[in-house]
Amino acid sequence: MTPLLELRDVRAAYDRITVLHGIDLTVGAGEVVALLGPNGAGKTTTLRVAAGVHPVSSGRLLLGGRDVSGAAPRDLARAGVCLIPEGRGIFPNLSVRDNLLMMTFTGRGREEIEHVAYTRFPVLGRRSSQAAGTLSGGEQQMLALARGLATDPAVLLLDELSMGLAPRVVSALYEQVAAIATEGPAVLVVEQFATAVLGIADRAAVLVRGRIEQQGRPDNGMRTDLAALYLGSST
Amino acid sequence: MTNTVNSGEAELTTTDTRADRFVRELAELKIPDPAAGRAALWLRVGGALMVLGLVLAGFAYFMAHSTTDPLAQRDAIALALGGIAGCVVGSALFLRYSLTGFLRYWMARQSYDVAALADRLTEGKVNDHAPR
Repeated sequence: MTPLLELRDVRAAYDRITVLHGIDLTVGAGEVVALLGPNGAGKTTTLRVAAGVHPVSSGRLLLGGRDVSGAAPRDLARAGVCLIPEGRGIFPNLSVRDNLLMMTFTGRGREEIEHVAYTRFPVLGRRSSQAAGTLSGGEQQMLALARGLATDPAVLLLDELSMGLAPRVVSALYEQVAAIATEGPAVLVVEQFATAVLGIADRAAVLVRGRIEQQGRPDNGMRTDLAALYLGSST
Repeated sequence: MTNTVNSGEAELTTTDTRADRFVRELAELKIPDPAAGRAALWLRVGGALMVLGLVLAGFAYFMAHSTTDPLAQRDAIALALGGIAGCVVGSALFLRYSLTGFLRYWMARQSYDVAALADRLTEGKVNDHAPR
C-alpha cells in the first residue's frame, strides 16, 4: 500500500546551512513512526518539510503517492496534513471551547468538534470555559491534540509532545496518540525523550546531524544504540 | 468510514477511508510548477544585463576618449561591443519573459471580448426573432 507520507532523499537548508542531508522516511496509514534524535539533529525541520512549511532544497515530498514538493502549506493542511508544533500553538487567552471552536474553519460543526474533543479528553469538557493558558501543561497538550483532531487529519505531525511534562502525563498522552492512529491517520512523532514514544511506535528512526542513522522496529537494541548516538559516540 | 449513498432506486454502499479521501484530494490539488519561478529570475537577469551592457558601453566610450593610445582605444572598442552584445541579449531575455506575462493577459482579454461579443450577437438574434 502507498504510504501516506514519504520523504525521499530530502535535503533542506536554512540559507546556506544544510540541515537535512538526504532523509528517506515513510509513514503508512494507521502507523506511528517516531523520529528521535538529540538537539539540533533536524527533527523539527523534518516535520516542517513534511507539512510543507519549509521548502525542500532537493529530493521529494510525497503525500498519498503524489509529489507535493513546492505545494503551499495551506493546501496540504486543507487536504489533511496537521502539524502540532512544539509549544502547542493554542490561544492562551481564549477558553478551551473557543480554542476548539476556532477549528470550525475546517467546515466541521461546533457540536461535532466539541463531541470528538470531550469524548477523547473528558478533562477538557470539565474545563471548557477555563482560559487555555491556565490549564496544566498536559491539558494544554490535550487541547492542542483535540484542535488537531478537529481538522480530521490524514497525516498527523507531532513535535515534542512530552516537552515539559511529567512522565505519567506523557504516557497517557501517547496512549491517546496510539488510539488516534488506530482510526487511520499516519502519525509522525518527533521526540527527544525516546522512552515513552518507543512504547507505542510501530517504527522509529534516529536522526543525527541531519542524517538518519538507524531505522526500524523499536527494540532493546535501538534503545541501547540511542544512548550512544545521543552522547555522540559510534556504536 | 462507510457512506451510504442513495442514487435513485439503487442504494450504494461505499467504503471511503480518510486515506482514500486524502489521496483523492491531493490528486485534485494544483501545485505550481517550480519552473514558473525561474521566469522571474530570467526577467531580472535580462533587466540587469540590459542596464549593465549600456553602462559598459558608456564607460568604454569615455575610456576611448580619455586616451590617445590606439591599443587602449581598441580595448575600449572590445569592451563596448561586449556591452552592446550583453544589452542585446538582456533585452531579448527581458522581452521574452515580460511579453509572456503580457501576452497571457492579452489572450485572456481577447478571449473574454470574443465571448462577450458572441453573447451580444446571440442576444441580438434572439431579440430579432422575438414577436413584436
